[in-house]
Amino acid sequence: MRLSLKSLRSWEGLLLVILIAVVALNIALSPVYLGVGNFINLFQLSIEKIIVALIMAFVIINGEIDLSVASVMGFAACVVAVVHENNALPFAAAVALALVVGALAGLVQGYFVAHMGLPSLAVTLAGLIGFRGMARMLVEDRSIGDFPEWFNALGQKPLLGPIPLALLIFVGMAVIAVIVLQSAAFGRYVTVIGNNADVARYSGIDVKRVKLSLFVLSGLVAALAGVLLAARLGAVRASTGEGFELDIITMVLLGGVSIFGGSGSLVGVGLSILIILNMRNGLGLANVEANTQTGIIGALLILSVLVPNLVNGLRRARVGRAGHT
Amino acid sequence: MSEATPLLEMRSISKRFDATQALDDVGLVLRAGEVHALLGENGAGKSTLIKIMTGIHPPDSGEILLDGKPVTLRSSADAQRVGIAAIYQEPMIFPDLNVAENIFIGHQNRGPIVNWGAMARDAERILGDLDIQLDVRTPARGLTLAAQQAVEVAKALSLQVRVLIMDEPTAALSAHEVAQLFKRVDKLKRQGVAILFISHRLDEVFQIADRVTVFRDGRHISTRPRAEVTPEGAIRDMVGRKMEDFFHRSERAFGDVLLRVDGLGRAGAFTGVSFEVKRGEVLGFAGLVGARRTDVGLALFGVAPADAGTITLAGQTVTIGSPQSAMSHGIAYVSEDRRQLGLSLPQSITANVTLATLKRYLSRLGLIKPVAEQATAAEFREKLSIRAASLEHPVGQLSGGNQQKVMLAKWLNLQPQVLILDEPTRGIDVGAKAEVHHIVDQLAQQGLAIILISSDLPEVLAMSDRVLVMREGRQVGIFEHGVATQEAVMTAAVGVA
Repeated sequence: MRLSLKSLRSWEGLLLVILIAVVALNIALSPVYLGVGNFINLFQLSIEKIIVALIMAFVIINGEIDLSVASVMGFAACVVAVVHENNALPFAAAVALALVVGALAGLVQGYFVAHMGLPSLAVTLAGLIGFRGMARMLVEDRSIGDFPEWFNALGQKPLLGPIPLALLIFVGMAVIAVIVLQSAAFGRYVTVIGNNADVARYSGIDVKRVKLSLFVLSGLVAALAGVLLAARLGAVRASTGEGFELDIITMVLLGGVSIFGGSGSLVGVGLSILIILNMRNGLGLANVEANTQTGIIGALLILSVLVPNLVNGLRRARVGRAGHT
Repeated sequence: MSEATPLLEMRSISKRFDATQALDDVGLVLRAGEVHALLGENGAGKSTLIKIMTGIHPPDSGEILLDGKPVTLRSSADAQRVGIAAIYQEPMIFPDLNVAENIFIGHQNRGPIVNWGAMARDAERILGDLDIQLDVRTPARGLTLAAQQAVEVAKALSLQVRVLIMDEPTAALSAHEVAQLFKRVDKLKRQGVAILFISHRLDEVFQIADRVTVFRDGRHISTRPRAEVTPEGAIRDMVGRKMEDFFHRSERAFGDVLLRVDGLGRAGAFTGVSFEVKRGEVLGFAGLVGARRTDVGLALFGVAPADAGTITLAGQTVTIGSPQSAMSHGIAYVSEDRRQLGLSLPQSITANVTLATLKRYLSRLGLIKPVAEQATAAEFREKLSIRAASLEHPVGQLSGGNQQKVMLAKWLNLQPQVLILDEPTRGIDVGAKAEVHHIVDQLAQQGLAIILISSDLPEVLAMSDRVLVMREGRQVGIFEHGVATQEAVMTAAVGVA
């Protein structure tokens, strides 16, 4: 990213300044902050959320939202657990099944949004409730663990040097996501549709297919994140991943992606992820309790929505009727 | 009309925005009781002048004299206090307040409690003066655009305006509503209000103005009494070139029939539309608003597919069920609504130009080749003279004419055989209009079959080889160029014998 006065005035510039401040504060306050171990740990504690945040950025830029991701995560984790519990399939096949289930969950919701024209807010709210309900039906109030050794190791132990599998997956997906949004036809279409779906349709773009693909991908990635979560935790309950959707959406919106669709950059999302992770890490090292952490991050989200609106409002008030020509 | 002291005088006004000299030492004199038309292409400086007059922008230099005395306008409240108000194309109305409240917004007769009865009576009196029949207690939400504008005129009157600026007030009005608006303008004028009237429609300007001032590129070009101004002269002043350049239509040789449509219809929209277009031919579509001409275009482009009739392309019957299928048959549709249906405004010129043809710019890995994409955009910038500092500029920041050209570029890049143009010159200035006409003529010469849907009657008559007239979803006639006169076409379109 080019560092100039202009880029500092942009949202990404502001995020960068905040990030530097948070990191500086962390370094000053905690002797253990600077260390490879803490750094990996900082990612690892939220790794499933930030993986899903990448696809959520696409969904929101497209002008939609997927509230069901955390429930799909939990549902997929429960599928793995129950299949394993009953020894119905080899474990790897159980994982594959969970991914298919996630993709199907996305397909169904995507069909309602893209082909039936229902608002994604309503459809995926139903998904949020429905898929969590299915997870409960599968697992009830048990806690299922006792996964194969290799599976737990993948979730908990470093794979390449000090880096665990999930972080590798995240980095790989982040690279792909940046390339797709910047340079692939699909990314261009996602943005155009988010700006104005009619313009896209009148340009011969298959709007329905783009939207459907996004929801399928969202379901698939959420299921993958659910499986990774199961591996990291070593046990699954019906409530696994509950409430994650809010953190995920926070990361995307704080990153400057417009809730109305059409604009947003993955650089911004990346920065906002780093800010949130570092804040949580710093607050944790400073022994601030989890609820207070959540409160602070909530305040940050409100600011992220408020500040751009206030700035625009002020600008409009100053120019008055200048918008008219 | 006293010649002595003008009501408002703008003297040697200059204003610069960054790199653009928006106004360069211009003057304008408004007398009490005159309608003064201000003409100019987009970017001529009209809007900037209005903003200075209404206190939104301060001038860099120059002075504003009211009754011969210098005034400083620091805000629109200042301007309102001295009696300067402006009405815009889109009325500034509060939809949930009723008519009376809208008229007296910001200056109710305020005691401890609002005297609703007196307010309603005052509102009725003002509306009565203007011959506006409206119940002052209806909420503004349900009013037509014309009625909302009438409320704005009444509001201006209740403020005891002395100078009323009307910026494109007729752009969204029907002919009948325009006539009514003009009657009101006449009333204001007789009460001694000075009216600055801005419009792209020259016929209106000649109908209503007492004097005509022309700006070009931020400079004052001319101010003349209406009697001394001809449309040709005014246009020459506006664009700096001659009228002959307009409606450019060269002699063309037609090829074979490319598109044939038989009994085309869509339930609830239109029925029984049949026509042929040859290669190199321009078929005009005339009709009033609501004649469903756009629906025919949308059926041919597959946005709202036809459910009756046949479409034959170069001798082959084709089914068009989606824009994708229309495009694969070489049919392009340039929408009438640039901002809502045509362009992705926040995105770059380049991204818009290649939007319909992005697949051609993909590398083997499926990634967009930026160099190739920009080369295409640059080529069209050259060919259609799109004026923009950079191809990475968001399209939304361009003028209407340049946006229109970007939209044309997007569809020409498809290299279509059939080009459907829906209101291609709506809301763009005279110069850009002439350029669009020129482009259309060139495309026809290159052998494209063109369907030109336009509500601008002189345009559709001059540009088309034949004119198809529609009325309320039915085709009512096809006129050859030359036989198609304004009278003949209007008669068919309106449906009086």
